Amino acid sequence: MVASNSATQSLLALLQLVSPTLPVGAYTYSEGLETLVQTAQLIDATTLEHWLTQELDSGAIRLEAAVLLRVYHSAVQQDQKQVQYWNHWLSAFRETEELREQSWQMGRSLRRLLKELHPESQSLFPEDDAPCNFATAFAIAAVVWRLDPATTVLGYLQSWAANLINAGVRLIPLGQTQGQLLLRRLSLPLEQAVEAILTLTDEQLDGCSWGVSLASMNHETLYSRLFRS
Amino acid sequence: MNNASVQPFGPPVGPPLMSSPSRVWSGQLELEFTRRQAKTWLSRSRVQAPLKVQRPFYPEGDAICHSVMLHTAGGIVGGDELAVNLLVHPEAQALVTTAAATKVYRSNGATAQQTVHIDVAAGACLEWLPQETIVFNGALYRQRLQVNLAANARWLGWEVTRLGRSARGEQFQTGLWCSHIEVWQAGQLLWVDPQRVQGGSEMMHSPHGLAGCPVIGSLACLGQPISPELVEKARQLWQPGADATINATINATVGVTRLQSGLLCRYRGTSTAAARHWFIQVWQLLRQDSLGSTRRSACLPRVWQL
Repeated sequence: MVASNSATQSLLALLQLVSPTLPVGAYTYSEGLETLVQTAQLIDATTLEHWLTQELDSGAIRLEAAVLLRVYHSAVQQDQKQVQYWNHWLSAFRETEELREQSWQMGRSLRRLLKELHPESQSLFPEDDAPCNFATAFAIAAVVWRLDPATTVLGYLQSWAANLINAGVRLIPLGQTQGQLLLRRLSLPLEQAVEAILTLTDEQLDGCSWGVSLASMNHETLYSRLFRS
Repeated sequence: MNNASVQPFGPPVGPPLMSSPSRVWSGQLELEFTRRQAKTWLSRSRVQAPLKVQRPFYPEGDAICHSVMLHTAGGIVGGDELAVNLLVHPEAQALVTTAAATKVYRSNGATAQQTVHIDVAAGACLEWLPQETIVFNGALYRQRLQVNLAANARWLGWEVTRLGRSARGEQFQTGLWCSHIEVWQAGQLLWVDPQRVQGGSEMMHSPHGLAGCPVIGSLACLGQPISPELVEKARQLWQPGADATINATINATVGVTRLQSGLLCRYRGTSTAAARHWFIQVWQLLRQDSLGSTRRSACLPRVWQL
């Protein structure tokens, strides 16, 4: 009989958490990419790569991952008040209605799943009845499954990138192989983003993502929509 | 001295900015608005150069007090620290604007800071409508705006920023513009908007960032739920092509959405006039819908010289 190896267990937990089969419905959201394709701002793998790289370098996902890290540390210390503070921060930062609804729906689904898998995890969630953001639930899942902080942030960003590349493959459209090539090319930007995010101070939580906001706001008015954001 | 930086509706705040050692301005402006017998009074004002406030005026009757802030030194230079504190007491209604565009000059290395702190009490409403800010190439500027609303208080505010004196062909090639906005209601964070634009960086030209547009503007109204119909009306008030006469090669992009208990409009384009024109119309719409205790049309301050 083989004794359980904690590194293997962590890897398995990570694979489960970032899997596209995690039942949170990520594949139904494009985070404004659908608007950008319809207005011909995203036309190929190169323009999509530029967009995703900018998000990682200075955009909204970078800040969200930085706050996810803060939720993670607060949950490790079982500081529910701080978890609650950062969860509110995430809701206040997701400024468009669609992006907020996306984060809340995915957060609700993941929280419900964790309740089934690990009932004790519920004590780490905020006590108030405010909607739970996906980044909040993801951080708590990572704490429950004993993932380390850098792996948690990397996993969050990788699953985000893979999901949006999949949206791009369907919308632009791109070939499946082109999508996989793009995901490989993002491995360095992903690594650099994690390094930067791990050292950000609270005062450095800022960025520039006007394109994301405008694309998301205008997604609400698109005549035909495949995606929910 | 009565301290106007009491924060009855928000989180505790840190110590005030320290005054600077030499030659830079440490300007302060503290205003309080109080309602007595159907009239909103400017019940307290305390100023320190280069900030000043004009005598209040009442172009639309006693209920709403209009105040105009002035920066008497002509502009903001590196190292300046400006602090504005506004306190609106229960049921009072005030409109605060600026006498002219705010200029932030090229820095000699030090960062200029402006901190605005607004408290709005129950049943009160503040309209914060400064004229545009022109950030010169090479400027280093941080602004921070914190609004604390009581449970049924309202705030409407806008910011229009031009990065680089683009009318004369100047681009924002070096420098830094940071703007941090937080709006709280009854101790809960409703909206946080932490912005940073690094001059000359990829974000200036990327469609993900400013897409080559020198002008960005935001209008937000918070404190009460907004209907989807109102969002749709605000969208329809934008006239596509409003920027076309100014720069035919760049189209402005605008968007409207619902915030938590509020509404947000964003403008990214080339024309401060086009942004302002749209924002004034949305402001008018919000006033007719619900802003403040009575429905009324927007009354444009004369200092805007439209």
